[in-house]
Amino acid sequence: MWDSEVVVTGAAQTPFNRRKDGSGPRDWAVSAFEAARDMAQIEASEIDALFIASESDFFSLQLNPSSVLATDLGLSGVAAVRCEAGGASGQAAVHQAALAVQSGLVQHAAVIGLDASASGLPPDKIKTLYGFSFDAWTDGLTGLTSTALYALSWQAFATQHGLGARHLNDVTRHNREQACSNPDAHLPRRDSADEIDASPLIASPYRRLHCSPLSDGAAALVLSHGSSTAPRATAPRLVGIGAATDHLHLGARAEPGHFAAKQAAMRRACTVAGITPADIGYAEVYDAYAGAQVQALAALGLSEAIEADLAAGVFTKGGRCPVNLSGGLMGQGAPAGAIGVAQTATCARMLEGRYHPALQLADLPAYALADTHGGVCTSAAVTLLKRGEAL
Amino acid sequence: MTDSPKPGSQTASVYRLHLDYDLKAGWFAPFVDGLKQGQAVARCCSSCGRVSFPPLRTCSRCGSLDGDWQRLSGRAVLKARTQGMDGDFALVSFDGADALATVALQGLEGLEGDAPEDAAPEQGRVLVLTAAPDGLPRLILTPETRP
Repeated sequence: MWDSEVVVTGAAQTPFNRRKDGSGPRDWAVSAFEAARDMAQIEASEIDALFIASESDFFSLQLNPSSVLATDLGLSGVAAVRCEAGGASGQAAVHQAALAVQSGLVQHAAVIGLDASASGLPPDKIKTLYGFSFDAWTDGLTGLTSTALYALSWQAFATQHGLGARHLNDVTRHNREQACSNPDAHLPRRDSADEIDASPLIASPYRRLHCSPLSDGAAALVLSHGSSTAPRATAPRLVGIGAATDHLHLGARAEPGHFAAKQAAMRRACTVAGITPADIGYAEVYDAYAGAQVQALAALGLSEAIEADLAAGVFTKGGRCPVNLSGGLMGQGAPAGAIGVAQTATCARMLEGRYHPALQLADLPAYALADTHGGVCTSAAVTLLKRGEAL
Repeated sequence: MTDSPKPGSQTASVYRLHLDYDLKAGWFAPFVDGLKQGQAVARCCSSCGRVSFPPLRTCSRCGSLDGDWQRLSGRAVLKARTQGMDGDFALVSFDGADALATVALQGLEGLEGDAPEDAAPEQGRVLVLTAAPDGLPRLILTPETRP
């Protein structure tokens, strides 16, 4: 259990999409930060530390972004650091900020996640770069792609659990359908199963519509120490974090379809929070691909019988544990460094009744889960939030 | 929330950066040099005998750092396959190795469908490691040809 409270006082994001308005990542960072700071009702001068998440310098050609953004945000002079854990970079930054606040050394920490994953480079270059997210000497130079590795992992999981293309299509349709009510979403679509099946085959069984898009955008959080003056009584508490890694070679894992790092991260987070997966009432889950969401639900312990729970609608808005009402990566979008920050921001807003009206849960859950990973779940990071006491 | 771009700010600046990396293989140079010649060079743990390919610096079974280089036949059995616009890739089991490996495939006919069961008849197919034409250390497998 934490020694002191970590309160999510500010939570915001920009729209996730492919920017065509001439704005750049530094604009998005300022926009998200100002909205989060406004929600937290604190001055920039009260921020003690800045944590930046950006997956790759390649996307924006900006090395050392933390110092650049500290100046842009009017925070010059604060401690600033950039966190990287592949696709989990955003959640890794949340964790580092939470630890700093929890220690009492920092009263207010700002977390900014951002990346220009869509507009900075052509898609084929991004695909090549993502191929080096794994072992550059083996998978990278061989030319294996992210989609191919996820496809091989899904095949192993699907075979073990008796799942197939129908389940991929169901997840795809659910997440994109939710995105239609999210004004910040990149891919709000209502595709039929036939339309999904007709989309180009990228790496069997994954078709284009089973994949999350490359997006631009930023997200921001302000985390405050419980003893500081800022926290609203209704603001959610960040009550647990957990992270873990798995073998970087998919083939060297005992079960290539099992996200073991996610399972370990969740266990660690639950231990810190003093809860079990059954206590979770809302989850933002890392769905880089449709099958990855299903694999995540199983590894997180949110389902003991995945096929039956999917069929029963457990993870839909009216179910026991709604998942990815934001649209997830597949619907809302995937600016790599911003993903984990946005997931945590979504959970915080959902727990405080501040989410998009059409997607807001009427009965506020007691606990929410933000789940992010990098590689084929090679780096996993899980964050647990608790509803504010006054609600 | 909007990002409020200024009027007239639509101009992008296209900047081309060409990078020529001089990558050093370090401790697993024998593996890299082997791949360039189409040879599978694995790491055999001196402590427990586990054979890793691709090689692991620290044994995943016993944690030992000590090991010897061991040349495998380069033959592998296909376990799972994925193909599409990204290319043709697989999980395979190299003869003599104690774990699976992810590889690229060349020269195989296409699958009939895209479901895992469509690839079932492929499982068990024998492939062989081949040197990449560009001289780079790549894990590329082709169908085994019998004399």
